[in-house]
Amino acid sequence: MGAPLLILTALAACSNEAREVGPSLPQTPPVGNMDPRIAAYRANLYQVSQGGRYFTWYGCSSCHGDGAPGAANLADGRWQHGGGFADVYRAIAAHRPEPSYAGTIPVEQLWQVTAYVRDLPTHYPEKRRRVSLDQKGEPQGSRWSGPQ
Amino acid sequence: MTPDRAHLERLDRIWRDPPGLWGFLTTVDHKRIAARYIVTALLLMFLAGMLALDMRWQLSVPENTRMTPQLFNESFSLHGSTMLFLVSVPIMEAMALWLVPLMLGARNMAFPRLGAFSFWLYFGGVLTLWIAHAIDVTPDLGWFEYPPLSGPAYSPGHRADIWAQMITFTEVAALAASVNVAATILKMRPPGMTLARMPVFLWAMLIASIMTILSMPAIMLVTSMLISDRLVSTQFFSVAAGGDNVLFQHLFWFFGHPEVYIIFVPATGFISSIIETFSRRPLFGHSALVLAILSIGALAFGLWVHHMFAVGLPRLGNDFYTAASMAIAVPAGLQIFCWTASIWAGPTTFPTPMLWVLGFLATFVIGGLSGVMTASAALDLQLTDTYFIVAHLHYVLVGGAMFPLFGAFCYWYPKATGRLMSERWGRLAFALIVGGFNLGFFPMHILGLMGMPRRVYTYPAGMGWETLNQVATAGSVIAVAGGMVFVANALWSYWRGKPSGADPWGGSTLEWASASPPPAWNIAFTPVVESLTPMWNDGRPLKAMDGLENDRREVLITSVTGGGPLYRQKSAAPSIWPLVAALAVSAMFIASIFTPWAIPAGALPIGAALTGWFWPNRPRAKIGPFEAKP
Amino acid sequence: MRRCLASLPVVLLGGCAGNQSPLAPASDQAFALHSLFVLMMVVCGGVYLLVIAGVVWSLLSARSRRGTNTVPASERGLGRGLYVAAAAIVIGLTVLIVGSFLADRALVAARSEAAMIVRVTGHQWWWRIEYRDPASGRWIETANELHLPVGRTARVELASADVIHSFWVPNVSGKIDMIPGRRNIVDLTPRRLGWFRGQCAEFCGTQHAHMAFDIKVDSQADFDAWLARQNAVVEAAVSNTSSRGAAVFQRVCGSCHSVRGTPAAGRAGPDLTHFADRRSIAAGTLPMSRGAIQGWLAQPQALKPGTSMPAVPLLPADADAVASYLETMR
Repeated sequence: MGAPLLILTALAACSNEAREVGPSLPQTPPVGNMDPRIAAYRANLYQVSQGGRYFTWYGCSSCHGDGAPGAANLADGRWQHGGGFADVYRAIAAHRPEPSYAGTIPVEQLWQVTAYVRDLPTHYPEKRRRVSLDQKGEPQGSRWSGPQ
Repeated sequence: MTPDRAHLERLDRIWRDPPGLWGFLTTVDHKRIAARYIVTALLLMFLAGMLALDMRWQLSVPENTRMTPQLFNESFSLHGSTMLFLVSVPIMEAMALWLVPLMLGARNMAFPRLGAFSFWLYFGGVLTLWIAHAIDVTPDLGWFEYPPLSGPAYSPGHRADIWAQMITFTEVAALAASVNVAATILKMRPPGMTLARMPVFLWAMLIASIMTILSMPAIMLVTSMLISDRLVSTQFFSVAAGGDNVLFQHLFWFFGHPEVYIIFVPATGFISSIIETFSRRPLFGHSALVLAILSIGALAFGLWVHHMFAVGLPRLGNDFYTAASMAIAVPAGLQIFCWTASIWAGPTTFPTPMLWVLGFLATFVIGGLSGVMTASAALDLQLTDTYFIVAHLHYVLVGGAMFPLFGAFCYWYPKATGRLMSERWGRLAFALIVGGFNLGFFPMHILGLMGMPRRVYTYPAGMGWETLNQVATAGSVIAVAGGMVFVANALWSYWRGKPSGADPWGGSTLEWASASPPPAWNIAFTPVVESLTPMWNDGRPLKAMDGLENDRREVLITSVTGGGPLYRQKSAAPSIWPLVAALAVSAMFIASIFTPWAIPAGALPIGAALTGWFWPNRPRAKIGPFEAKP
Repeated sequence: MRRCLASLPVVLLGGCAGNQSPLAPASDQAFALHSLFVLMMVVCGGVYLLVIAGVVWSLLSARSRRGTNTVPASERGLGRGLYVAAAAIVIGLTVLIVGSFLADRALVAARSEAAMIVRVTGHQWWWRIEYRDPASGRWIETANELHLPVGRTARVELASADVIHSFWVPNVSGKIDMIPGRRNIVDLTPRRLGWFRGQCAEFCGTQHAHMAFDIKVDSQADFDAWLARQNAVVEAAVSNTSSRGAAVFQRVCGSCHSVRGTPAAGRAGPDLTHFADRRSIAAGTLPMSRGAIQGWLAQPQALKPGTSMPAVPLLPADADAVASYLETMR
């Protein structure tokens, strides 16, 4: 039974599956790309998924959807303002064009949205589309009027 | 007929396993494989019980913060998945694997290596789930993970995939074991054991195996569809793309309902065997019992929608499933009548196995009646997804399957070990377990009627639920203490129990003809059956016949209905290929959690393993087709 | 509790009924189910007593046969008993099936008179509730609290925005699942005034345990007044504190929450117009009070770990102001 042991032990090496819920989320923006709190967000599947939900709820996908032109395309791996965690965080917080999200999106959720946005280039488009199909009933920005 | 020493020594030489670790890994002895299944399942039952105690402690106090919601959700998911997939069905299969050849006077199962393969694969499933738990990637969506909660959007990561793939492991293992049991019962009965002379236990195991074969594909399909949705973005359960979430529920419960009867039907076999022996007379209503098991097996496939009464399906359909779900109480009720009548009709004594029968009668009937209540589509709208259902499912599973299992354990322990379990400690364990269980779970009926939903990690103060929750916790603790006494009794008796001899209870069926514990070759000659109770045989001595070689492994194949001898079949020798094949299959299953390429890549080692397994080991026959000369 | 005589369970269990219990029915539908439950208890309780009596009798009979050489019992007598048992089981089940069928018809009997339409949408982990205003045809939105007029049938349309939830108010109705992609409908005809509690009854994720809601059955006049108040927009903030609170609210909370009559128009979280009128907050997690509001704003993850509501670091003065502002929203 070595095979399962091996692969699952490999899983243990990364904490991507960890699911921390509770009042342990950061309440201040990241200080630079080496902030130790980033480790829990960088590729954590739960935080990335939560960030994806907020991405939909705040209506980001209306401009930043699949195939968006130029700088609005977040999945092409090219970062205008730097690709580190804190860089992307700042870019969202001081978002241009308006609105800037620092005041409207709470810090906790900005961390999660940042984790999602930074993870976007590694997502398969089919997977993203499949997830968005399941989330069709969710609030999609301020123009949402109800599920289906 | 008394076998001579030379005959026995030759049998021993041919049928015993190689020594040491190699023997451990290559054995195809059904008794050793079954023992592994049972030990593993009992260990998992203990672990699942610890999870349950943890949850009960959490729920003893309202707004308890001892467990986080994530931990609680993982606990009930792990508890349910373990008990239903890794304990209940496998342990029933294991009892079949161990007892069926003995009860048939056969030397081994029909497919010895398949039996070994089924254990190793089951063990792979155990490791998949529990190593995942050890590294904190526990599935946390319950034991039936409905999409879209278990879909790619709401369950990121691999927890749901681990759950789904664990099911694939255990279902392939169950299919292998069931095919083995069914073929053995149909084709390897002793001469004279027509279907009409087949004991109820064997009928029960046969029906359970056929039910497994028919229902398992549904769940393998649906969990594979779920993994496929999550891994390669198919759209089976995506409503916006034309899929349907309710499809998951239909396919899951098409398996899920027969599964609980797959767990219950073997228990009816245990009860029948135990009652027959201790009532000292042939079971009353043998035909009724067999017909009841057959009808339960058939009806069980027509009930699954009763798990979905709240989904909003068409009402007339719901009413049909209400009637069908209530109808299954008819065969079950008739079984209870027949068993009670058998106890009534004989000078029945009540050693520990019979106490468990009484515990079963008192407990399972409550579960059955609460099941009749929930069978009503209308009333189920108030009862489902509450603690009433938690009470119902535990009453039928624990009362209807675990209590008979404990009784069966006490009953056949002397056959397996050559020693008797202590009666005194057995009675204490019985009282603690049955009393503790009822104290723990009866209040849950009331909690459900007071509005407490299930799968909640806490509840508000002021609902009036505290006292009953604390009583439930106390009862559960007592029951677990009883379980410890039971296990301690079993362990202690293994070394210090009174020697039992071959037939301590004066049993009616053929397993009592072999020694205790049975040697590797089970029984020296092939018994010839003349009645339903071959060991009693209406006072006549048991006839036997010979003809199987003792210089190679052979079993006797007989006809399906009449049990007449047909031919001698070579029986597989110990082999490493089942383990190798299981390793290859496990590797493919685990890797396919992470990438779909594992399936074509994994097919190669599996093909190689199967080639090794089936490599012919004798040259082609040189004679032509068999011709009957006039 | 196992000594259930025919009438005892009803009497005993009636004492366990509360405001989240099917044993204290408050609507036509719940009354039908309660009657069915009583029938079930009578029949099933009776059957259980018969079974136990049979087992005890067989124990005594077995004891009397032990050690004697009595003639074995007559198989024919037992055979007749088997047929009697079969007939009794079939008759009993037929009674219950008919009872169940009739109760099921009673659940939908109100359908033809449905007048008031309410739409309840399940989210992880709260309830969006919308009333159809018959005059204007618009939807009046609120959250986590359902009001119904007594004696009148309400047609509740159930939907889900994310995963499968289940709408369950035991005193008023059996549960109906809220499945994404399906629109289920349940008709409720409340008959008793009062507050009741409902809870989600299908596991829906981390905080399934804290997805509850309050339901108030009002007289028709009270209900009309309540609905009219819900329809009205929030009055402009008057005091300094609450206007400061309003400003902080627009800035910080408005992207998820909506308050009609203000710029806050977020759709992701519960509607907070007339928030202070409600009996509980966070979907039945906490009772409505100043302390609970402040605790919820300060650290929602401590009270309902996993909730989508974030903790928002505010200056104490700002936090106070927002709480005061929320308290003015009646």
